[in-house]
Amino acid sequence: MALTEDRVTFWFGCNMLRHAEMIRLSIMLLERAGYDVSTVGGPAYCCGTAHDHQPHAASNMAGRTVSRFNEAAEKDGRGTVVTWCPSCHMHMSDIMAPGNAGRFDIAHITELLADRADRLTPLLKVPVKRRVLLHRHMGFATHVAVNDRVADVLSRIEGLVLIEGPAHPGHMCSALATVPGALDKAASETWAAAVANRADTVCTIFHPCHRELAVLDGRNDIGVANWVQLVAEAMGVNTSDAYRDWRKGGAPDIAAIERADQSRYQLLVEPEIRRAPILPAD
Amino acid sequence: MAHLPAARAATTEDFLAQSGPELAALCTACGACFNACPMVDHLDLRGADPTMTTDGLRRLATGESAPQETVSWVGACTKSGLCVSACPQQSAGLNAMLLVRIAKQRALNDTHQIPAKQDPTLFPRLKVYARLQLSDEELNTWL
Repeated sequence: MALTEDRVTFWFGCNMLRHAEMIRLSIMLLERAGYDVSTVGGPAYCCGTAHDHQPHAASNMAGRTVSRFNEAAEKDGRGTVVTWCPSCHMHMSDIMAPGNAGRFDIAHITELLADRADRLTPLLKVPVKRRVLLHRHMGFATHVAVNDRVADVLSRIEGLVLIEGPAHPGHMCSALATVPGALDKAASETWAAAVANRADTVCTIFHPCHRELAVLDGRNDIGVANWVQLVAEAMGVNTSDAYRDWRKGGAPDIAAIERADQSRYQLLVEPEIRRAPILPAD
Repeated sequence: MAHLPAARAATTEDFLAQSGPELAALCTACGACFNACPMVDHLDLRGADPTMTTDGLRRLATGESAPQETVSWVGACTKSGLCVSACPQQSAGLNAMLLVRIAKQRALNDTHQIPAKQDPTLFPRLKVYARLQLSDEELNTWL
């Protein structure tokens, strides 16, 4: 099938599986921007970046994922892989592609949406009256100017006042978690900046940052939202955030837990959603 | 949108094995990447000798042991990326962040100066999250 620039594969990565609503909102934004989207992710599409200690297995994962994207390009005309996760994006660019013949291009979701800003902007009809502090990291700018891209799209929303928060080291919060004190420092600096700037919303760009900050939602009368949720809100779309609700004491409904296997839920998920917040209570 | 670089090896494992010595040969151990790295402060390594530390980076990338300062530094890479533009050899083809990444992998797997951290529960946990939230159709088409 001939490649067309409108037919894309949206590769959401692995850890986004915690945030199904963000995946669905990302698909919605891409579709409203005029793209035909095929969505993939999870362990079967692992890039291998988290498996440095198993180089052979990581190499096999990378090869398998590249060959699946090649197949999507050849059989389905999807010549662009759209990333969400900066780890996946950088790993594809720097390591997977030089070791595998990829027959597709790569773009971050913020790049594709920026390319179609003329289509998206008229859809942002609902004023979002929030003072929003953008939680940023330094990393990933080597590949995509993601902080600027997100700031640009948010600045198109009527009523939204954007405050650029401090730029933290790393490409996202999960990277900082491996260095003692680094994640706590980033979270506390973001929150302090939000309070100092009288923000009512802290906006995350990436999922691991959302994972850490979501539990703080409501503290100091400051909410936590991801950028796709704010854009959807400006489009008049009601958004939900199950992960944020679970971190704040909620739980999935019993039917969902039974579907997922109650014992596995209790073993694998409950300890994560019940862990202490990154910042202690005031 | 970016075009991906052409393949230079048959697998990523081969590419990384080939690239370590290539990047190490381009590195002059000037210390610019170390000086630019924001994690150096977190690690309390600002007083370490940048030249010695980055010479250790070259060593690791070729599979040799490195001083503890180098090992601590590469082990704490969070991909801030400030090293990339700080490197005076960037125009010669040296991707400093990739060199640090390869050095870390060598410290994990070859010199064993960094202990391997494995989380065998990661994928099983993600599958539980998927089944908690995704519809049958999403499970079948996305994963």
